Amino acid sequence: MAANLMNWLDERLGWRSVWEAIFLRKVPHVNWFYTLGSATLFLAVTQGITGILLTLYYVPDPAHAYDSVVYITTQLPMGWFIRGLHHWGASAMVILTVAHLLRVFFLGAYKYPREITWITGVFLLLIVIGFGFTGYLLPWDQKAYWATTVGTRIIGVAPGIGEWLLRVARGGSELSAVTLARFFGTHVWILPASLLTLLGVHLYLVIRIGISAVPEKDE
Amino acid sequence: MSKSTDEQVNRRDFMKTAIIAIGGVIGGAIGLPAIPYLIGPAQKQDSEDWVRLGAVSKVELNVPTLFKTTIETQTGWINAEEEFSVYVLTENGQDYSVMSNICTHLGCRVRWIPDQESFFCPCHNAVFAKDGTVVAGPPPRPLDQFEYKVEDGFIFVKRG
Amino acid sequence: MNEQEKKSYLQRYKEAKEKGVPFFPDIIFKDAVVSLIVFLILVALAYFVGAPVEERANPNDTNYTPRPEWYFLFLFQLLKYFPGNLEVIGAMILPGLFVILLLVLPFIDKSPKRHFRNRPFASIAALAVVGGIGVLTVLSVMEAPPPQEAVVVDHAAALYIKNCANCHGENIDVPPSTDLHQVIAAGTHEGMPAWGGDLSTDEIDQLVGFILSPNGSAIYVQQCETCHDQMVQAVGNPLELQRVFREGENYPGHEGVDVPDWNETLTTVERNALLNFLAAPDGQRLFTINCAGCHGQGVAFAGTEEELRTLISQGGHDLAMPAWKGTLSESDLDTLASYVTDPQSEPAGDVLFGQHCAACHGEKVPSAPDKESAIQIISRGGAHMTMPLWGNILTQEQLDALAQYTFEVSRGEGTGLGATLFVEYCTACHGQFGEGGPNPSLAGDIIPPISTSEYLTTREDTTLRNIIAQGQPNFGMSPFGDEHGGPLDSTQLDALVAFIRSWESNPPVDEPPIFQTETPPPTPEVTAPTSEPVPSLTGGQLYTIACASCHGAQGEGGIGPAFNTQEFQDQYDDRALFDIISEDHTATPMVVWGEHLSDEQIQLLVEQVRILGGAIPTEPSTVSFSGQVVPLFQAKCQVCHNSQTALGGWDSTSYEAVTTTGNSANVVIPGDMLNSVLAQRVAGTQGAIMPPSGKMPDAEIQIILDWIAAGAPEN
Repeated sequence: MAANLMNWLDERLGWRSVWEAIFLRKVPHVNWFYTLGSATLFLAVTQGITGILLTLYYVPDPAHAYDSVVYITTQLPMGWFIRGLHHWGASAMVILTVAHLLRVFFLGAYKYPREITWITGVFLLLIVIGFGFTGYLLPWDQKAYWATTVGTRIIGVAPGIGEWLLRVARGGSELSAVTLARFFGTHVWILPASLLTLLGVHLYLVIRIGISAVPEKDE
Repeated sequence: MSKSTDEQVNRRDFMKTAIIAIGGVIGGAIGLPAIPYLIGPAQKQDSEDWVRLGAVSKVELNVPTLFKTTIETQTGWINAEEEFSVYVLTENGQDYSVMSNICTHLGCRVRWIPDQESFFCPCHNAVFAKDGTVVAGPPPRPLDQFEYKVEDGFIFVKRG
Repeated sequence: MNEQEKKSYLQRYKEAKEKGVPFFPDIIFKDAVVSLIVFLILVALAYFVGAPVEERANPNDTNYTPRPEWYFLFLFQLLKYFPGNLEVIGAMILPGLFVILLLVLPFIDKSPKRHFRNRPFASIAALAVVGGIGVLTVLSVMEAPPPQEAVVVDHAAALYIKNCANCHGENIDVPPSTDLHQVIAAGTHEGMPAWGGDLSTDEIDQLVGFILSPNGSAIYVQQCETCHDQMVQAVGNPLELQRVFREGENYPGHEGVDVPDWNETLTTVERNALLNFLAAPDGQRLFTINCAGCHGQGVAFAGTEEELRTLISQGGHDLAMPAWKGTLSESDLDTLASYVTDPQSEPAGDVLFGQHCAACHGEKVPSAPDKESAIQIISRGGAHMTMPLWGNILTQEQLDALAQYTFEVSRGEGTGLGATLFVEYCTACHGQFGEGGPNPSLAGDIIPPISTSEYLTTREDTTLRNIIAQGQPNFGMSPFGDEHGGPLDSTQLDALVAFIRSWESNPPVDEPPIFQTETPPPTPEVTAPTSEPVPSLTGGQLYTIACASCHGAQGEGGIGPAFNTQEFQDQYDDRALFDIISEDHTATPMVVWGEHLSDEQIQLLVEQVRILGGAIPTEPSTVSFSGQVVPLFQAKCQVCHNSQTALGGWDSTSYEAVTTTGNSANVVIPGDMLNSVLAQRVAGTQGAIMPPSGKMPDAEIQIILDWIAAGAPEN
């Protein structure tokens, strides 16, 4: 019965070849450090789910952002859990992404033929940092406000166009409702879209070229 | 590979089971909390509460004393702060009468005029006596009274 | 990496793959295990640490130490080493170069060597970068202090700034014995609004506390506001507050709370400031909170203020109630017991209570649960309820304020100051209730009532104040303000204005009574104001106000019978006198004083009548005109009654003028004390008392009366 259904679907979807190409392909023996990339992917998915759940209640407006975050944390059943996962997941993302990068670096996996994979990986790291930076402001508490104030000020250091860039980043000269709205928009639309695109390329390359083997010392 | 094919197969079966189990655990750990998280706001019951006005010792003898508290009605993260003012009168320090400061005529706020020993409503010149009964003007009934209780030196009123 | 090397790599990779394992399930299993571990760590963090929320963002808070997220800390630490114009290096150039370096890494490092041991330079450089970031992060954490707690706001100070500072500046110097709560709640008559309708009692108390003890407010913010966000939660009861200090962590409300030992951490001065803030040294409030429960609205006290202060501070360990059994009859005991059980049920108890109990219990009738226990307590007496040692509970400031207030209330001052002043200085011309009457200074002139609502609504406080302070010389009213040479200081003027203003809402006079200048004025139809209790007056003052106009200043008689005869005194006993004064007399125009005066006051009048009865006129003693009368005229009369001004047509500067001038009649009719205007005026028997600033001492009046009675000799 189940087999018939699978066959029926395969005739139409061709999923077996995809399954075989992705999951049944042979990969070299690797050590536990090679799980860091997958763990990062897993975290990205988790962050996506918890993030979507948070947007159900979060309001990106200075008048209500703080209240809605407090509401999620203290009033909603399991709200503390969802937000806790998202909050700590953000830090874990950064740690795992950097760890993954270091693994790739020390084992020379960025070399031929995986240069593009590496470059997309570097961009993905920047995106992860961007997620952290934009997400940090959203609770609109003291820490968020002041961290973002000093964080955005760095942009203003750029010679010549620094002031202008700063105004673009903040949507004005000071942190305001505009800043919060654009940070929110960046956090939930621009960055996820970029992430998905680059992640698609990154994973396609990983599957196409294959996971790198642990290099031999005498090689 | 020194392992036999059978062992390999058993190991892989175990790993498949483990992967499904881990997936189930993680999926459950996120999915199950998401349910109350999503339906939580629907479950919230409106509760009728005693509102604490303040220390009983603040009530002056024979003079209606104004107590103001803000009552927070919360819908989601919007805290509507409703100011709730009542006059508390006691003649013997034991029995109190808690009166609304809302004129029973058209809902203006009455205020106590000490010199005249009466409540005065500025909208239509209504006058209420110290105990809230109508002395002059259009109000149809005395000032509304609230149910109250005294606990630990504080006076509470029941809203509604 | 050349083509050869590429080929060899691909070959080796192919071999490794063939020796390898299927992605599913082998690799995915490992991934799943690691993911599970990561997830469990996150769950643990979410559960045990939680997602922190700090205070709401406050862009105006300059005290907050801004710190970025932890993974940017290294960058911030790095910026510290590039001060000023170099900042751009740390902020942009170095991070930018680093990112570019990462991006182009595969194109720079083209060597086929992959294992880190075979690439010592790259490996060491990478380790250095990672180590550097780690060190910078640690340094940053160590150097920057953790964010401070947001500064808590001083609510009381905020209230003050919002409501008071505009007019009063940074602080207010409050004169002692000011009932500050009342002033704020009701406003004053200098343009200060009544806040009672806008601020709650709690808020006014906060303000009073802040005004009287700003330091206490600051200490409250430091010590208490973390838990007690509003003063609502701190009971302004000094007994409780002292308990909090004494019992520390054992205080019921602080059990399980990590409170400091305030007796150690705060100095005595600071503790007192805090106490003064929470229970402001405001006599009336302190009395209401601490004393009214037992003493009602006031305490009868006859001693000095210092004695009262000692009594309050040392408490009432000796204040045992006497055993009334034996002193009182069984039926009286029974009546009293029923009265304290239920005051309504036993009207007769009121009198008994007034006679025996009110001296200590004030107006507050102690309540007893049932009659049996009441009888027991009254019969046995004893220290059934002793007064606390307030000296141990109140601060010096609070004690002073309380003693002062209680003392003044016991003497009928304080809130009744204006009423007292009015009786003293104004009733002579304006009548007891401001009803007016014939102008004593200007013959033929009638002083209109000043207590009608029409008069008061059309005059502002400043107008009234100016009239009193500057006088109305055209109408013979002398200035009363001290800056114009009068007897009243600024506070007294205000009190007087406030007293007069209090009539506006409840005017005692509806329309001007009709006066006839020739015949003695009928007793004006007045109603005692209900809101202003008649201040406590001595029997003599009461007599002057209520009786002298008909019965003569010395009880010599007039419209009414004389009291200073032996027959009169023998005819009535005290009870009868009491009844005559208080009851209705349809046949005579005598006022039903029982409606206007309290029983105690009527009792005082009875006593006064007895005193006057003892003062049966004797033979006039010889009085020297030049030696005794002239100096009095010079001191009291000549300001207005001289040859130039001669108010009322009377000149008091020479014997000739004294006895022959006067508008309506000669002011002095030798030998005729009853009809001499001078005698009437100085004694207050008819018209207004002279001098307008207040009645002369009795001895001096007696000199003038004796002099007239003796035939006004020029000796």
